[in-house]
Amino acid sequence: MTPSPTDVIRRAAELREALGGTFRDEAVRALYAEAGEVARRAVRTQGARLDLDQRIDRIVTSPVFGLPLMALLLAVVFWITVAGANVPSNLLARALFAIEGAAVQLFDQLGAPWWLTGFLWNGVYRGLAWVVSVMLPPMAIFFPLFTMLEDLGYLPRVAFNLDFLFRRAGAHGKQALTMAMGFGCNAAGVIATRVIDSPRERLIAILTNNFVPCNGRYPTLIMLATIFVGASFPAAFASVAAAGAVVAIVCVGVAMTLAVSWALSRTLLRGEASAFTLELPPYRRPSVLRILYTSLIDRTLFVLWRAVMTAAPAGAVIWLLANIHVGGASLAQYAAGGLDPLGRAIGLDGAVLLAYVIAIPANEIVVPTLMMIYTGAGMMTDVTSLDDLQRLLVDQNGWTLLTAVNLMLFSLLHNPCATTILTIYRETMSVRWTAIGALLPLAIGFAVTFVVATVWRLFI
Amino acid sequence: MTVSILIVAVLIGVVLLRHRANRPARERRRIEDALKHLFDMEYRGGEATLSSLKGVLRLADRHVLALVARMQSLGFVRVRGQAFGLTPAGNRLARQIVRAHRLLERYFADEARLPLRQVHAAAEHHEHTMTPADVERLSADMGHPSVDPHGDPIPTREGHVPPAEGVPLTAWPTGSDARIVQIEDEPPVAFAQILAEGLHVGLRLRVLEHTPDRVVLTDGGTEIRLAPAVAANVFVAPAVDEAALTGAIRLTELPDRTRAEVVRIDDACRGFSRRRLMDLGLTEGAVVTPVLRSFAGDPRAYHVRGTTVALRRDQAAHVIVRPLESAWRETA
Repeated sequence: MTPSPTDVIRRAAELREALGGTFRDEAVRALYAEAGEVARRAVRTQGARLDLDQRIDRIVTSPVFGLPLMALLLAVVFWITVAGANVPSNLLARALFAIEGAAVQLFDQLGAPWWLTGFLWNGVYRGLAWVVSVMLPPMAIFFPLFTMLEDLGYLPRVAFNLDFLFRRAGAHGKQALTMAMGFGCNAAGVIATRVIDSPRERLIAILTNNFVPCNGRYPTLIMLATIFVGASFPAAFASVAAAGAVVAIVCVGVAMTLAVSWALSRTLLRGEASAFTLELPPYRRPSVLRILYTSLIDRTLFVLWRAVMTAAPAGAVIWLLANIHVGGASLAQYAAGGLDPLGRAIGLDGAVLLAYVIAIPANEIVVPTLMMIYTGAGMMTDVTSLDDLQRLLVDQNGWTLLTAVNLMLFSLLHNPCATTILTIYRETMSVRWTAIGALLPLAIGFAVTFVVATVWRLFI
Repeated sequence: MTVSILIVAVLIGVVLLRHRANRPARERRRIEDALKHLFDMEYRGGEATLSSLKGVLRLADRHVLALVARMQSLGFVRVRGQAFGLTPAGNRLARQIVRAHRLLERYFADEARLPLRQVHAAAEHHEHTMTPADVERLSADMGHPSVDPHGDPIPTREGHVPPAEGVPLTAWPTGSDARIVQIEDEPPVAFAQILAEGLHVGLRLRVLEHTPDRVVLTDGGTEIRLAPAVAANVFVAPAVDEAALTGAIRLTELPDRTRAEVVRIDDACRGFSRRRLMDLGLTEGAVVTPVLRSFAGDPRAYHVRGTTVALRRDQAAHVIVRPLESAWRETA
């Protein structure tokens, strides 16, 4: 007699109960036993290679040398970026601005109206040229260096070294990895949080990624570090001192990341630090061609293209704001004047805040926008030498060391750029978390700069 | 002025309407909570009364009475003197709700990895919105688990509930090995204390001492003292395999660069975390060696099956190993 389907189902249910909860364990164990048998027959290992790996591991993850070594590596990477990017940056700027000059002349000869020439070349094109010349060289240096560390297998060791901090902050150890990605680009860092499997900890990683400075913010940081920190050292040490200042700001960023993670995991995203399993892969000899390919094509060009796409409309907006005059002053001057009281309260001024509003699409155009507002030139201005810049800021616009410190802090702690905000939305699919991700850093930025400015004015 | 009065009026209206719209859902929640309580009392051989129901639902007398009347008219409850009992129809429904509750607890503990203290409240919150189809899908996704994280049996789809097998720790003879099969999660204070002592379902232990003011037990390593009132909330059954306690330690206790063999992953580690550990190759018989220690000593990195894997202390603690006699030497 053939059993009926209901009999079969009932019998299956009975057998399932007898199976107990361990049948999955049995399956994994059997798979591993089989794989182990295959490996034993087919694989021959060389002891020496493993020993070398372990010797390196013992140094880079050592309780004594691990953390200082990490800071030193970071400083060296920044120093190479700062020192190496200067010359190609100037060359690129000169070439691109020469094209602009030629194009403006050509348009004038063809009899194009002044506003078309201005809008297209002095607005849109100049925005593009600034972004390309300021961003491309540092990125083309920073990303390959970073990819090399990644390719070597060093980044998992960083996560291993830093995990004790993230664990105390109630966060996932792999947040150290996504944070490191954020040094390149916060949007990329937010996407990288997919490696974190716990939703709570992933949200923490997403919301705090913006606290480390991305590539677009280095130009601002490097410029300020060079003018205000580097300039007070002998020329031979200037780039070292500037790199040191940038590293200090990065450390503030990492500290903020941990502090905010800690606060989030005790308020909005309450919970225990969950599982942390991290594979430490063997070290590999980096493959130069692949590094160049992934870092230049996948990262540099990708980030640059995004910046170009946002810089063009921003350049147009800047040009319009500076050139539409109502009652004797440009819109840019009105806006800067309106934001001025708020800016003064946090040790900055209205022009800085306006520059940050205009630069929401791409942070890299903050400095050129600022120059434009200060000089009233009606277009994003290139200041040819750092001495000019220092004169403009200190002598004409009353900048002090407080302004520089607070601008560095504000450049670290403010709302993410438009791309990162969009990415947060795509990754969380929630307007609420996106709003928190955008406004939380801004609120913290205002609070921190306000406190610094108040304390500074009281005591100094 | 008028505008603000208008806005306030509209807001009050919205709140009232939402309150009214929520009424059926609220009634369903109360009925289901009441059924669960009645089922619980019957399962434990006790009786549900007006005051016990009042305590669970946190409602005034007249609301409880109205609720009982409503459940009587639905044919779920019958009243015998002071005590309330379930009709066969009420019993069937109650088992479904208990099934949903315990499956949800299992899910929150294993897959969402909520701390054990929070799974009960989370399950209470979600159990009333699940359809029978949802419950079946949840059960199938988790491989049809048979007990909840506290060790209470999960009723089958047909409503079958196996009887409780454990006896309270206070009634267990000293000197013989036992295995925790269930931990009562009420009252929360006692439950938190039990968790804080590191006790969990599946833990093997031995009662060392038994006096009116304390129960002393050991899990093979540390000694644990409990007040009898707390120990009475821990239910144990005879240990299945006796060998597991001898010579086995937790991976966290293994000294650096000492080889050991994995015995098993303890039963407190389930669902996602368990799968993750096994995927990394920490299966029975695998040889594991702690090789690196980070700044604070946590996490540590372990060499297993030709790879190096970093684990935090609270995860490595779930892996039970037996140290191998031979001195540390990298295996080929």
